[in-house]
Amino acid sequence: MVDGGSENVVAIDARPPRWTLAAENAMRFSLPVLLAFLAGAVLLLAIGENPVAIYQLMLSEGFGSERRIAATLSASTPLLFTAVATAVCFRSGVFNVGVDGAFVLGGLGAAVIGYALPVALGWTIAPLAIGSAMLIAAFWLWVPGVLLAKLEVDEVVSTLMLNFVALGISGFLVNSVFLSETSGNNTTETIHEVAELSRLLPPSTLHSGFLLGLLCVLGYAFWTQRTPQGFEAALVGFNNRFARSVGISVPGTIILVMIISGLVSGAGGAAHALGQVHKFSDGFSAGYGFTGMAIALLARNSAIGILLGAILFGALASAGTTVQLFSDIPLDIVNVIEGTVMIFAVVELGRLTLWRGTGQ
Amino acid sequence: MSATIVQPRGSVEIRIGANRIFKSYGSVQANRNVSISVGPRQIHAVVGENGAGKSTLMRALQGLETVDGGEVIVDDLPVRFSGPQQAISEGIGMVHQEFMLAPELTLLENLVLGDEPTRPSFGFLQTVDWDVALGEARQIGERAGISIDWHRSTSTAPVHIQQYVEIFRLLRRGSDVLILDEPTAVLAPQQVEQLFGLLRQLRENGASIIFISHKLQEVEALADHVTIMRKGETVASASVDEMNTSQMTRYIMGENAKAAQQTRGEPGRPKDTGAPLAKITGLNAHTANAQQPLYNISMDVSCGEIVGIAGVAGNGQEELIECLVGLRKAQSGSISINNAELYNAENASFRAHGQGYVSPDRAHEGLAKSATIEANVMAGSQREPAFLRGPMLDRTAFRKEARARLDRLDVQYGTLNDPVSSLSGGNQQKLVFARETARHPKLLVVSQPTRGVDLNGIATIHSYLLSHRETGGSVVLASEELDELMFLCDRILVMSMGRFVGEVSRAEFSPQKIGELMLADPLPQKAANG
Repeated sequence: MVDGGSENVVAIDARPPRWTLAAENAMRFSLPVLLAFLAGAVLLLAIGENPVAIYQLMLSEGFGSERRIAATLSASTPLLFTAVATAVCFRSGVFNVGVDGAFVLGGLGAAVIGYALPVALGWTIAPLAIGSAMLIAAFWLWVPGVLLAKLEVDEVVSTLMLNFVALGISGFLVNSVFLSETSGNNTTETIHEVAELSRLLPPSTLHSGFLLGLLCVLGYAFWTQRTPQGFEAALVGFNNRFARSVGISVPGTIILVMIISGLVSGAGGAAHALGQVHKFSDGFSAGYGFTGMAIALLARNSAIGILLGAILFGALASAGTTVQLFSDIPLDIVNVIEGTVMIFAVVELGRLTLWRGTGQ
Repeated sequence: MSATIVQPRGSVEIRIGANRIFKSYGSVQANRNVSISVGPRQIHAVVGENGAGKSTLMRALQGLETVDGGEVIVDDLPVRFSGPQQAISEGIGMVHQEFMLAPELTLLENLVLGDEPTRPSFGFLQTVDWDVALGEARQIGERAGISIDWHRSTSTAPVHIQQYVEIFRLLRRGSDVLILDEPTAVLAPQQVEQLFGLLRQLRENGASIIFISHKLQEVEALADHVTIMRKGETVASASVDEMNTSQMTRYIMGENAKAAQQTRGEPGRPKDTGAPLAKITGLNAHTANAQQPLYNISMDVSCGEIVGIAGVAGNGQEELIECLVGLRKAQSGSISINNAELYNAENASFRAHGQGYVSPDRAHEGLAKSATIEANVMAGSQREPAFLRGPMLDRTAFRKEARARLDRLDVQYGTLNDPVSSLSGGNQQKLVFARETARHPKLLVVSQPTRGVDLNGIATIHSYLLSHRETGGSVVLASEELDELMFLCDRILVMSMGRFVGEVSRAEFSPQKIGELMLADPLPQKAANG
């Protein structure tokens, strides 16, 4: 009775047909994106630009040729990792916003191992670097995981603040212990050439880290759909009181998803360091953790949505950079679109659903 | 008692009513051609199964819902409410099952909240005049013949006092149409009588009262008129003198009436019992009410018996159940099942030792409402070897078992991928039973198993519990439905203020005896200060 409408109606068949569910999912993804582009268009009009022309330019810069597509995929590579790392937590109702910090620390660890180990180790350096980065980042997010699970320390606050700590630590280290003797301020030595991840489509910077990212998305899909732990994590996200009362360890699940999130973030940082920039310097992450969050929200934690979202935001980033070269449009327009997508993605589109069920 | 606390509004034939109301949500018709008319000086009962459309009708009467067809009638004339505010100004008020009081305020503050008497101060500001408020409160209590400590904090006030405050708040604002949604669910039998006394007095003063209930004996005892709803329609409306409870049951159930009657019957004698299956000794634990923790709780549960736990809501039953299933940490004591000590163990350990748990809070603990039916009925079984292939879930076996479980308890559902919220209340609860009994637990800990469940669902659940007992299983059953406890249990333990105050065996069951125990004050008397 307390539940109001939905329970107090006659139980005639109240289920939506299958196709509307698919259409609804597609709309939940595309509507925020469209609305965000609309908001961007308003902004472009306000500064006296023609939004249609700009968007056309962005489209061709994002997907116009094999080279541009490679650039887009290259830009989407770190986002694949950070989006999976975020979604794995969001799915369990753990609002982890600390992926960016874990990504940065993972990148630092990988870069340091990438140049500090003797060259003689050859191809083994890269897996060692990635593995260490994953461990560092996993430990980093394990801390707020334990704080939340055992002491109920709000994870939004702890992970958000840990981002600053991570930036501070990495900034200090690259200016002291790991400071390069040859290349100036705020940066480590360049990693050994043998430690670099291979380029897939030279001269594009697209590297095999992209494949690793795809593997993460696949692994995430498998974990969520096919493992008992993934099932438990979903139940904790649906309703943690319920999960606890059917014998699932809620603290254990929280810590597990935080560790997984850290492992994936660390792998992402390592891939970025070894495949893209070949060293670690201040400003290593261009907000990848936060863009990953936007993607996870937009995708509603689905693997396919993460893939599409990462490519979309990768295209925005790569097109935004070149559009800036060819027009007066500042790169900030991309940030505006990204931010608006995030806002629209979290709007509950209850009143916009195709199927008007028991909504009131 | 002669002074009135209701201000009736002139003489009309129909104070509030509905004429041929239609309301649908999507493809679902919640109300079809529903009519009701309630005169002044009338207590009008509305009965029907869950999902019969009672709440939709009440929402329409309060202006919370715009109807698709038909009209709401106030004072003999059709009205179209612009919103709930208008209904309130027409004198229509509702007492919900979940009280709308702010727990951290005092009873007096809650009484006047939103309509405080004020006096000017500093010339232009208004401050609340608490003296006037207290005067009004005392007057209203006196006239109703109920003494209330108005400065008491609401969270510590007994439930029946909170209910009075809810009613008084409506009266104070000039409501003379009161809609009460299952008001007796939280009361002991003696308190029910007291409430009925007040409601009868209000009727004499001219009030119109709509009384939603599923306890037909209460309808018979209190109401003048009864309207019965089924599947969104009004199927009968008559004076209570003209209709007995078995006729009402037939109207409520429709063609399903027989199904429910079959399970009525005395349970047989308990099976021969050896050593107790579960043993609780000297358990102490915190409760929601800091003054009344669980104190020195001891009980045994043998094989093949149903042990009931009775008490007025909020006297520690919920916390005791939580301790019994590993969802609340105790301070001291011992809980063992099958001789395994499980004091302060996790829920998973209790389950591993053969326990199943049916939560009183189906919406928030018994189910994950937005998850699929499959996930809900299989939750907790995801690590059983039968459903694993290596480290992976065997989805085929998983789904097959889900179907088998749902079929065993006769749950009506669409597909396994539908959200569990698409099921009716009764089917949801049957799903919970399907999950909790799937592993053939020896001990079922069951709390409020039929809350918000329709009569057919109740019949299924009751017969399931009895058959569980017949096959040597044990049940600990906490319920606010005394009838249910007396029907199912072999003995009933009564709680008051966090303690056991008595045990009643089946031969001695009577509402009076159990009710007296429910109201007992087991605390050592304090120094005489009133």
